[in-house]
Amino acid sequence: MSIQVENNLKKTDNKEIFQQKAHYMPCKIESDGPIDVKKYFDPYVVKNKETDELSGTFRGHPLDGKEMNLPEGYTAIVVTEAKKPLAEDADRRFQVAGGFKDLTYWNWDKKPSRNDSLIKAMDWIDIAEAIHGD
Amino acid sequence: MGSVLQDLQDFIKLRDNFRNFINSSEVPSICKTEPCMIGVDEAGRGPVLGPMVYGVAYCPLSQANVLQNLGCADSKALTEIKRDEIFSNMLTEDNAFKNVGWIADIISPNYISNSMYKRAKHSLNEVSMNSAISLIKKAAEDGANIAEVYVDTVGPPEKYQAKLSEIFPNYKITVAKKADSIYPIVSAASIVAKVTRDHALKVWQFLEGLEMDHTEFGSGYPGDPLTKKFIREQIDNVFGYPLLVRFSWSTAETMLLEKAAICTFEDIDESPKKINMKSISSFFAPKSEDGIKTRKRHKFFEERYLSFDNAFE
Repeated sequence: MSIQVENNLKKTDNKEIFQQKAHYMPCKIESDGPIDVKKYFDPYVVKNKETDELSGTFRGHPLDGKEMNLPEGYTAIVVTEAKKPLAEDADRRFQVAGGFKDLTYWNWDKKPSRNDSLIKAMDWIDIAEAIHGD
Repeated sequence: MGSVLQDLQDFIKLRDNFRNFINSSEVPSICKTEPCMIGVDEAGRGPVLGPMVYGVAYCPLSQANVLQNLGCADSKALTEIKRDEIFSNMLTEDNAFKNVGWIADIISPNYISNSMYKRAKHSLNEVSMNSAISLIKKAAEDGANIAEVYVDTVGPPEKYQAKLSEIFPNYKITVAKKADSIYPIVSAASIVAKVTRDHALKVWQFLEGLEMDHTEFGSGYPGDPLTKKFIREQIDNVFGYPLLVRFSWSTAETMLLEKAAICTFEDIDESPKKINMKSISSFFAPKSEDGIKTRKRHKFFEERYLSFDNAFE
């Protein structure tokens, strides 16, 4: 099975489409599709001016958050699949829908720290560079 | 509507309704010298919508008649209009505001949900007790000369009384069921709390942008048909409800389970840890189903939740 990613946005003038806001949520949400973050989530995000830490709320749960840059040289893209093939081993084609350069990650009632799995996962990028780089 | 109530509404409107805030009178100077009684009561403990409000009222022991003259009696027997009127008089009549001080603690529905949905759950009883304690402390810190404390409770009074006596050893503490109808100072506190809660609902502004007011979402009590309709209809598939709603109420929880996307947070096991005993045979069978020895993922990747799966499945 091969995976193809088509980027039809290469020549787009809309630079914002690759600078979207992304939130990494501390729960599994069984839903896929557009949601109104500006209406239901953003009004309650408060930044602590001294520590830069964020607080928020989702489904009544208290959240602690932090803004995080992607590692140097990396960007994140969002892809969609117009139609998922029925056969399991068929080729897959995805279309680039946008992207982001930084994200906000949220913990459930736990201050962000070096020990958060998402922060630690980024270690791999340095290690991979050391192992596989020139 | 009188100017006192207008001022109250304006004050509430200026605050963030997803956070707690305090509203209070000045401490009457007579309360700084004369020994005072203070009453504590709450409004809006049961509703699924809106804030819970704790109120205290205090006045000199020698001025109990002021409360009677104001008409402070069992606040449940008073109509909303009557409560508004007594509250207005409490703030404007010479004899009243020179003798009676009050504080209200407006506890936002978001704070209630967030407390009950903490990793280490905080019950509504704890939220309530902390509010009551902080109000008594605040009255004293602001300069009121507290001597006697009267508290209304729905639960068993004994434990509550013991706890308060421990925190405030120098005060004479009375905790009682229906204290609201027995002690006029508790009735006064109850009026402060109820009037504040009523007006907080009246001026509720949805930060989510819903153009709707209390005539449409009702009193907030789960039995109110308007509230029921609101809980049934104002659901966002992912976010659930606007923050007027106490998510931690079973009425809201059940409805979301049924009508919104399922959201699962990390499971916190509060029961003591079981010791996981491996069967002895597990040590001799390091093979997967098809007989090929599987290589265990290194701890480095395990800790970081990194795997080599197909992300597009």
